[in-house]
Amino acid sequence: MPGFVESREEHGEKTVVIEPARLVEACEHLRGDGFNFLSDVSAVDYLGWGERGVAGYIGTAGGRDLNRPGSQGLERLPGPKPKRFAMNYHLLAIPDGRRARVQVWLDEDEPVPSVVPVWPTADWHEREAYDLMGIRIEGHPNLTRILLEDDWEGHPLRKDYPIGGEPVRFSGEE
Amino acid sequence: MAIAERKIYEGTRVPSPIPTSLLVPEELQGSEDLLQVNFGPNHPSTHGVLRLVVDLHGETVVGLRAVVGYLHTGFEKNMEAKTWWKAITYPERIDYLSFQNNELVFVLAIEKLLGLEVPQKATWMRMCLSELNRIHSHLVWLGTAALELGAISMFWYCFRERDQILDLSEMVTGTRMHTRYFQAGGLAEDIPRGFYPDARKFVDWMPRAVDDYEALVDQNEIWLERTKGIGLLSADDAIALGQSGPVLRASGVEWDLRKAQPYLAYDEVEFNVPTYGNGDVWDRYKVHMDEMRESTRIVGQCLDRLEEMEGEPWIADDRKVVLPPREELQTSMESLIHHFKIVTEGYRVPEGEVYVTVESPRGELGCYAVSDGGPRPWRVKFRAPSFVALEATATCMSDALIADMIAIVGSLDTVMGEVDR
Amino acid sequence: MSKKRLADYGLSSERVLMKGKGPGVFEDELGELEDKLLLTTMEKAVAWAQGSSIWPDTFGLACCAIEMMSIVSARYDIARFGAEVFRSSPRQADLLIVSGRVAHKMAAPLRQIYDQMLEPKWVIAMGACASSGGMFNNYAVLQGVDKIVAVDIHVPGCPPRPEALVEGIVRLQEKIMAGVPPAYEIRGVAS
Repeated sequence: MPGFVESREEHGEKTVVIEPARLVEACEHLRGDGFNFLSDVSAVDYLGWGERGVAGYIGTAGGRDLNRPGSQGLERLPGPKPKRFAMNYHLLAIPDGRRARVQVWLDEDEPVPSVVPVWPTADWHEREAYDLMGIRIEGHPNLTRILLEDDWEGHPLRKDYPIGGEPVRFSGEE
Repeated sequence: MAIAERKIYEGTRVPSPIPTSLLVPEELQGSEDLLQVNFGPNHPSTHGVLRLVVDLHGETVVGLRAVVGYLHTGFEKNMEAKTWWKAITYPERIDYLSFQNNELVFVLAIEKLLGLEVPQKATWMRMCLSELNRIHSHLVWLGTAALELGAISMFWYCFRERDQILDLSEMVTGTRMHTRYFQAGGLAEDIPRGFYPDARKFVDWMPRAVDDYEALVDQNEIWLERTKGIGLLSADDAIALGQSGPVLRASGVEWDLRKAQPYLAYDEVEFNVPTYGNGDVWDRYKVHMDEMRESTRIVGQCLDRLEEMEGEPWIADDRKVVLPPREELQTSMESLIHHFKIVTEGYRVPEGEVYVTVESPRGELGCYAVSDGGPRPWRVKFRAPSFVALEATATCMSDALIADMIAIVGSLDTVMGEVDR
Repeated sequence: MSKKRLADYGLSSERVLMKGKGPGVFEDELGELEDKLLLTTMEKAVAWAQGSSIWPDTFGLACCAIEMMSIVSARYDIARFGAEVFRSSPRQADLLIVSGRVAHKMAAPLRQIYDQMLEPKWVIAMGACASSGGMFNNYAVLQGVDKIVAVDIHVPGCPPRPEALVEGIVRLQEKIMAGVPPAYEIRGVAS
């Protein structure tokens, strides 16, 4: 597999990490392998990962025995992530039914090549990743904003973009 | 799982360089016969706030560009700010016609990350409500699609059955739409006793209702003219464009997640997957009609099984994730503490990422959830089938007339809430 | 100057009937309105005609639109209240039922549709999202459609039951027949 970095499997899902530069080759290899359906392209921003403390209860598989209060649940502390952004391409092979995830790690301004030549459906998904996360896609035929207005500034789904909205006013106040 | 052997058209009709919009061909650019029309966001026939900028040469559509985003709500950003428990209210509103399926996919993602086991009764009830929701979604689709093509009376018949389904939903969950009934671990409350007889009445009535709908339009000359041979999409193009659900099955690919990658208890019920090979609007319509019948069968089987499970628990027993029953709050200190902690801080979901898919009435609905081990989602992304279906508009619209555009966009069964999220 | 209360004119919403719940902005506005109400018989007839034949505009945005569609259906028929047809063209409609969340991108088309309607015109903000932004207090959703148009009736709910929307339309009819001017006149904003 061109550009292969590592692969892992958890929760029954296989993830393959690929270098950004050789993404298109890897995708063509996978499409030749039977993964003819691109299900989803998701961008994730890991800014501030693992920095804030977490609180709350931890669930267990199959329930916890109330008569043994010391029984512990599943926990895994968040490990460090290689770079700030991850682009995940979820693939499916029709009719076999195999699923895979291709993961690409990107820095702040690092571009990622477009997979539109491999799967035409990636067109709008990549535009959405650009619009909401600000990830630059190289070679995309029509990289413009899709969900927000054309003159919007900023990329809302980034972790350093505030949620916006306005403070709630109550009717009793002056 | 077969892929159609018969080719509807030769080669691929996916436009290039931009696969999702038709560009006006060279010879017509600057021509005086070219008219650019805006099918604005407020239009009675565009199924919500979809804007299509269409270039017309006479009656033929030569250029098409879809503009979406008029309903962008920022779901994903909002969900990152709420606890996992509170965030379940958000996915329902994404695809507001199949609200149970949206809830289902998110709750399945949480349970997959937690590794939580759900009791049988909850699984079967979830399946029953999801299938009722599928019928609901197809009914609203049929009512509005027929309305746009001029068959106005279908609307009233479809909404009559739709009200029956919503009555059932209200009986079980307390509200008609956006029920918030699925929790991480099972259902919010037990199934009320009056549900089974009323649901059975509906299951007995529904096939006759579908027969009525088919009697209304199947032999109608106008309907046949407006839907047969319109909006062709071949199987290869459909897969390349990421189509799923009825659009893919109407193009000849027998792919249904309920059969191929069963979730809930779909491998324990009997139903068929309707597949037609012509890839036009008529086939998509037939797939929807047949799916309504099949869903009614599934609901009947679920009811049989649920009645046997009377008295069983409807939610998992893990008190660190699931709220304790209200009676216990009066007597047990630990229950009070659990309740308080779950409601205020929320339960922690272990670190990881999952991608869960479900067969929504529109196709493959996916939820990609990333957790950092805390009580709030780090990232939730919904793969909306309507978003992808709109990408196929340009391919379906090659050599189409303007009146066909309404039929084609209607047959792709898009819900704009899902497209824009 | 007649001191008849709005309740005597036939308005029966709870805020109007429950006296002494103020003082607040609403009660002051009510007081001002009651001073202005003095309908001649001709105006009463016109108000009765206007109220009994409010034709809504098809402005369905999101989930509330589905419940709005179901008030046209046979069970919750609003044709019996006079809202016979939903007109697609805003020039032929009296009532704009904003049903669903209004994204900032949609705010401009919404205002354009509102501007195209001819006076007198009324607006019902249906559901929590149209009234106040609903559960979406974020960068994308307009926090309440009354920031850009003048709203006559807010119908709460997420989504409101069809009967709730029908009640909203009935209250609007009562307002019109009592002679209460449309919201843009009360607020003094551009219509």
